[in-house]
Amino acid sequence: MSIRREVKLLRHGRDWRGRSTVPKSAQPHELEHEEREFPTAWARTRTAVRARAGLRRTLLKPVVWSQTTPVVEGTEYLDGVRGPVVFVANHTSHLDTPLILGSLPERFADRVAVGAASDYFFDVRWRATLTAIFFNAFPVERYGSRRLRSLALDLVDEGWSLLLYPEGTRSEDGWMNPFKLGASALCVTKGIPCVPIALRGSYAAMPRGRNWPQPGKPRVTVRYGRPLVPEEGEDVRAFRVRMAKAVSQLAAEEDLGWYGALRAAADDRLEVPGGARSVRPGALAREEPTAERAGESKAGKNGKTGAGAGEQVAHWRRIWSSTEPLGEKRRKVWRD
Amino acid sequence: MSRPGFVLDVDERTPPLLMHQGEGFRLERLPLGAKVIYPPDSLPGIRNVDAAIKHALLNPHGTEPLPELLTPGMRLTIVFDDLSLPLPPMQTPDVRQRIIEQVLEMAAAKGVDDVELIAGNALHRRMTPAELRRTVGDRVFQAFFPDHLKNHDAEDHDNLLHMGKTKHGEDVEINRRAAESDLIVYVNITLTAMSGGAKSVSVGLASYKSLKHHHNVHTLRHSNSFNDPPNSAMHHSYERMKGLIDEHVKVFTIETTLNNETFPSSMGFLNKREWEWNVRDQASYVAVKRANELLPAKTRRRIWQSTAAPYGVTGVHAGLQSEVHPITLSNVHRQQLTEVNGQSDVAIYGLPYICPYNVNSVMNPILVMSLGLGYFFNLYKNKPIVRQGGVAIFYHPVPNEFHPVHHPSYIDFFEEILTESTDPVLLETKYEEQFATDPWYIQLYRNSYAYHGVHPFYMWYWGAHALEHLGDVIFVGGNRKTTARMGFRSATTLADALEMAKDTVGSSPSITYQHAPPLTLADVR
Repeated sequence: MSIRREVKLLRHGRDWRGRSTVPKSAQPHELEHEEREFPTAWARTRTAVRARAGLRRTLLKPVVWSQTTPVVEGTEYLDGVRGPVVFVANHTSHLDTPLILGSLPERFADRVAVGAASDYFFDVRWRATLTAIFFNAFPVERYGSRRLRSLALDLVDEGWSLLLYPEGTRSEDGWMNPFKLGASALCVTKGIPCVPIALRGSYAAMPRGRNWPQPGKPRVTVRYGRPLVPEEGEDVRAFRVRMAKAVSQLAAEEDLGWYGALRAAADDRLEVPGGARSVRPGALAREEPTAERAGESKAGKNGKTGAGAGEQVAHWRRIWSSTEPLGEKRRKVWRD
Repeated sequence: MSRPGFVLDVDERTPPLLMHQGEGFRLERLPLGAKVIYPPDSLPGIRNVDAAIKHALLNPHGTEPLPELLTPGMRLTIVFDDLSLPLPPMQTPDVRQRIIEQVLEMAAAKGVDDVELIAGNALHRRMTPAELRRTVGDRVFQAFFPDHLKNHDAEDHDNLLHMGKTKHGEDVEINRRAAESDLIVYVNITLTAMSGGAKSVSVGLASYKSLKHHHNVHTLRHSNSFNDPPNSAMHHSYERMKGLIDEHVKVFTIETTLNNETFPSSMGFLNKREWEWNVRDQASYVAVKRANELLPAKTRRRIWQSTAAPYGVTGVHAGLQSEVHPITLSNVHRQQLTEVNGQSDVAIYGLPYICPYNVNSVMNPILVMSLGLGYFFNLYKNKPIVRQGGVAIFYHPVPNEFHPVHHPSYIDFFEEILTESTDPVLLETKYEEQFATDPWYIQLYRNSYAYHGVHPFYMWYWGAHALEHLGDVIFVGGNRKTTARMGFRSATTLADALEMAKDTVGSSPSITYQHAPPLTLADVR
């Protein structure tokens, strides 16, 4: 055999450093070891906060605002709010965090820490570092398998506000999933206010699997609600329901308008995720499919597919309703 | 702790795997789904071997410490394994030298004058003075050679003692000096599970008359395998003979086991698993392989034969053979045993350049057969790695070469006997006696350095179990003429060999490659 063929055979399956892939059956059995938490304290130092503010103003916000058309409402509710708060939002896209951070008043944006999935954002060093510097993220254990002690309590004690997504993960289809208890428990035990946020259109703008927004500057809305304060003796589950209702109501504002959504909430007509049920953001209970198709109800105006709630709705219909463009406004190419 | 042996499933992430092929080696890409049996990683050797030997001699199993067995005026015979062990020969100082020196020191302290050292070579060729010197060391050699350091002579009838017959009617005839000693100290290296134990004295010091009772086709076909003593008819026979020997003479056994450091550091890649080769291993693979191919055949052989293994000693145990050998076997298993799940249709073996009978010599076709179908095929416990009627594929060039001094009877066996038949039973009944008693072969065995006339027959019987078990035998890269003479087939590549095996095992056979050396003993469940 010529030396060239010999070397070629030898090089088969090896990288440029000569390292071979290890056959699956030869991979050593690894004992489950206690994962060492990625340290994030450095990302909350004064220097890091300044650097992050710079990055947010010069990079994060300009890029997101240039690629989408954000509509921000309700930031005035934050005017009187002091001290650490917990922001909770529905979560459908990687755009959500930059949109919220970009739209928050500066005094909050500088003092907010974002709960990020430890198994996703903190699995490799480079990603953990980037996430920590850009978003002031801290690892959150989603599945409770490794039993990391959450940093959230300490952060609140240190005066940091938190941005949490109580659904636990980005939605598969743009619908809201039931909230987990963590955020509500945090508010109740610490007695701090919770600011609900609803995001609409971010799923359509950049759903799971995309790493850049759709072209055409899609419209996204970020609505802040009035802070909710846990009442004396209110239990964690009840507060969670209140939280979910508040987010649903904000989401419904997109379709019903402010007052319509208020009325729907007062009449208890809003669909709220709970149990194992996910709902379309802003969906109303007892939606009449025929009325929707005829465009008679307000909800039907944008919910043309009639997809409201429940497990019975086909997957494609969920995605279909989630990707409807918001508002009627198209980008004007020609002058009128 | 070193890693245990394991069975690799060849997948798309598996790099090409190493195959020994006579005085060379190659990389081969095995079909996806093939299994590869790897031995456990080399165990750490004992750091202070001399201290371990001393401890073993002073704290033996089942008998008094050695110094208490030594008395002034006694006849002491020290017998040691010949150059067929270990393989490749170990780097000096040989562990036998270390043990013999300590035994002699104790004997000297006790005032023992009548000491004789005998190499237990049975019907193997005599060891040359240089080989003896290498094995026992300079001091021992100078003090005892040539009068009291000798090879066993199985044809010196004046110096053989017939001790009687076992209850199965097996003659027990061993070296007279040893048999009439007050104490035999047997110094052993147990490289594979077949060696050591009852085999030491009953085979190493025996004559043809005694050996033919277990070195025959019937016994070997009922030794499944001879590396698994409880299931080996051969070892049952050894045990019976040993029982008789024990009635006549006291034997103090010292057994040692070695780890799997089979190749020196310059060829360290041969000791490693392929996906763990670093750049240096890969470079030395290419360099050694290329140099090996470019060398003239004679030089190449000389270099391979002068390779000495940096073995570490994993155990030294002394005392009564029946109590020592189980410990020794567990040490061998610790180093070599790998559990394998089930048999396959095709077994692949890469045969190396050395077998027990071509140390400093030539691996002739008969020895290739005995190495492949004898030694490698029988590296199993419970069941062979290949099913009944399956195919064995060996990698070896099977050159038509013989060492005229060491293997004269092999030449005649190959040229005259194998042309007539390859059936072991027929050869045994028709020709064995003739070769065993041929005066010229006996002359060469006693005075030259030739293997006994009957030895090629034993080699052929060694493969009798495999010949009965296998449906086909194919040699990749084998010389067409020599393989055909032995009743086998040759193929150019593995793909061709598998194509040829189709007739026997179909087009998608299960394949197992026994990755050795370093030696692996497959425990097939």
